[in-house]
Amino acid sequence: MNPGIDLQGSFIEILTDLGLPQGAAQALWLPFPMVLILIGATVSIFVTVWLERKISAAAQQRIGPEYVGPLGTLQAAADGIKLLFKEDITPAKADPILFTLGPAIVVIPVFLSYLIVPFGQHMVITDIGIGIFLWIALSSIAPIGLLMAGYSSNNKYSLLGGLRAAAQSISYEIPMALAVLAIVLMSNSLSTIDIVNQQSGYGILGWNIWRQPAGFLIFWIAALAECERLPFDLPEAEEELVAGYQTEYTGMKFGLFYVGSYVNLVLSALIVSILYLGGWEFPVSVTWIASLLRVSEDTAWLQVITAAIGIMMTLFKAYALVFTAILLRWTVPRVRIDQLLDFGWKFLLPVSLVNLLLTAALKLTFPVAFGG
Amino acid sequence: MTLAQGVQLVTLALLAAMMLGSALAVVLLDNIVYSAFLLGGVFISMAGMYILLNAGFVAAAQVLVYVGAVNVLILFGIMLVNKRQALQPIARAWLGQLVTGGVCAGLFALLTLSVVNTSWDISSDTPVGEGAIAEIGKHFFSDYLLPFELASVLLLIALIGAIVLARREFIPDVSPGEPESDTLQLPERPRELVSTADLRES
Amino acid sequence: MLGFLKQIGDYAKDSFQAAKYIGQGLSVTFEHMGRRPVTVQYPYEKLIPSERFRGRIHFEFDKCIACEVCVRVCPINLPVVDWDFDKATKKKTLKHYSIDFGVCIFCGNCVEYCPTNCLSMTEEYELAAYDRHELNYDNVALGRLPYKVTQDAMVTPLRELAYLPKGVMDPHDLPANTRRAGKLPQEILEETATPGDP
Repeated sequence: MNPGIDLQGSFIEILTDLGLPQGAAQALWLPFPMVLILIGATVSIFVTVWLERKISAAAQQRIGPEYVGPLGTLQAAADGIKLLFKEDITPAKADPILFTLGPAIVVIPVFLSYLIVPFGQHMVITDIGIGIFLWIALSSIAPIGLLMAGYSSNNKYSLLGGLRAAAQSISYEIPMALAVLAIVLMSNSLSTIDIVNQQSGYGILGWNIWRQPAGFLIFWIAALAECERLPFDLPEAEEELVAGYQTEYTGMKFGLFYVGSYVNLVLSALIVSILYLGGWEFPVSVTWIASLLRVSEDTAWLQVITAAIGIMMTLFKAYALVFTAILLRWTVPRVRIDQLLDFGWKFLLPVSLVNLLLTAALKLTFPVAFGG
Repeated sequence: MTLAQGVQLVTLALLAAMMLGSALAVVLLDNIVYSAFLLGGVFISMAGMYILLNAGFVAAAQVLVYVGAVNVLILFGIMLVNKRQALQPIARAWLGQLVTGGVCAGLFALLTLSVVNTSWDISSDTPVGEGAIAEIGKHFFSDYLLPFELASVLLLIALIGAIVLARREFIPDVSPGEPESDTLQLPERPRELVSTADLRES
Repeated sequence: MLGFLKQIGDYAKDSFQAAKYIGQGLSVTFEHMGRRPVTVQYPYEKLIPSERFRGRIHFEFDKCIACEVCVRVCPINLPVVDWDFDKATKKKTLKHYSIDFGVCIFCGNCVEYCPTNCLSMTEEYELAAYDRHELNYDNVALGRLPYKVTQDAMVTPLRELAYLPKGVMDPHDLPANTRRAGKLPQEILEETATPGDP
């Protein structure tokens, strides 16, 4: 297996060469990847908002944002600055503590989940053993924040929106977890790194999407429902609930919900690309190309190129999925709440259970292909 | 003391303070919604304790099951039945309070007994850490098989009970004697329920 | 047993059909992304209103005989005609005339029925105001002619869809004097006119 670059090792090595003690160098390294990921996640909001607006415009034969920055790229920044300067209103009869805590509780788990998103063999904040399970656990916290926001606004639309959001994310968490379980069954590990490594070696043919097509669809549908993306955006259905649990929010508190929803979309796309589309793997195995060109795997420049390709591939796959999500948004009308729950409990849940059982059976029959 | 140890100590103190504070608040606060949200805080700090004990999987399971499912369901229950009314003074409330106090004291005594009887020596085994998931799985399917299966049967019973409750027979708006008018009925929902037919026949 | 299997089969068939339809919908949406935007960048580009566009009403004070036909044909009796009877000439003299465009529905009845053609439709449609009373135009305001879109140096005039040449969908960068699709009314008249007609 390709060891890749050990950024941490080289960073600490450089610092100890400069005369710092080992512990201090490590302490200096600690916040570095987190800050990097935090910045990356924040930038991804701008990119996603811009993409969403431009692609939506194109799908409706409009132009979309055009005047703020080249091709309107700075539109999201302008919107963010506007939100920052808006008055922060707490409704008179709202519960101020819960009202403030709500958005924070929604956003924090989303950012925390970036802990386990790998961009390369060593480009992950922590390769903890529970890996993908951490993401499932963290994403189950968000409904509490939504309920909190909905309840504390003291507004019937907010409360309904919050209850809907919580019901929706609880219902769709189960098929999603079952789809993940099928993947975990094949890779024998919860770690995201191991899941990607299990798909590597055969280029595009080794990706999990070929072995888990049903799982891929279930997971992506459930992820869209968890993100409250359009076919499932009942919690903030404008026509019925004004803006759902966000109705009473203004300024940066509203901005936090906005940030949370877009970061969650990118995160879900990243996780799908890791679980089903081979993560940082190039469609053609890089090691195979290297061996074809007779370049040693340990060559420094090859490793740099592999790492760069890895990051680009992960982001490319994730944004391709974001693109399908946006396209889906302008294709599929919103479902009703009973249809949503029917679909979750009566279709996705049984199908994902069957998928899990089939995966287990296939694993026992063909241990070579399904990770014996 | 190294950096890691210091961080662990401070975290432990913070988590303990958070857990005790929110647990007391759950019991003592009047507002039931606050209590429910603070219960989530208790569960989260417990998950933090598990992480300090190198039990990442248990911590994540704690968050998933208790915060993500149990606490959300409690909140659901509270918010769907959100009746704000003051508690009415109950005659002879002291009796109930006495009994509750007795039960609590008994539980506390039991816990104290188990705390005193447990040997708190730090085990010399190396912590399994990442391998914990496999260990837990093995235990589930060997010596803890019976409790595991019993828990799953319990869940099955709960599931069936929920289905039975959700499929509760439709209670007709019209009383048995008078003829059924279909002027106020929605056209798309045919009545196919057995109980109404039975009522009309009898 | 077979019935159960058939049920499952039907269910699966339905699901696949639904998935197929969603796929078709996605392809339609995707196909739309390749089309040119139909946006008219409004303050910088404006559509040229068509010949029969019913915009703000123009009024010529001197032609008006204060007959009040416009008031009678108006669905809501909107025009306000203020006149005096001049005993010497035995004629009405008009003092003031006003139409409130905040209430007018631009049906064009007054223009249609005006016996002296002192009312006419213009192509002005930008009637936004900060106060609704500003929309109450008196005879001076009604007598102003709007600025033509084609003569405004700040604005790129764009032709409407019906005025584009055959097969052209995009009004941008049309060469000047390109003809619209179809024949002009006078051409049709010329063709159909018999030689004997005057």
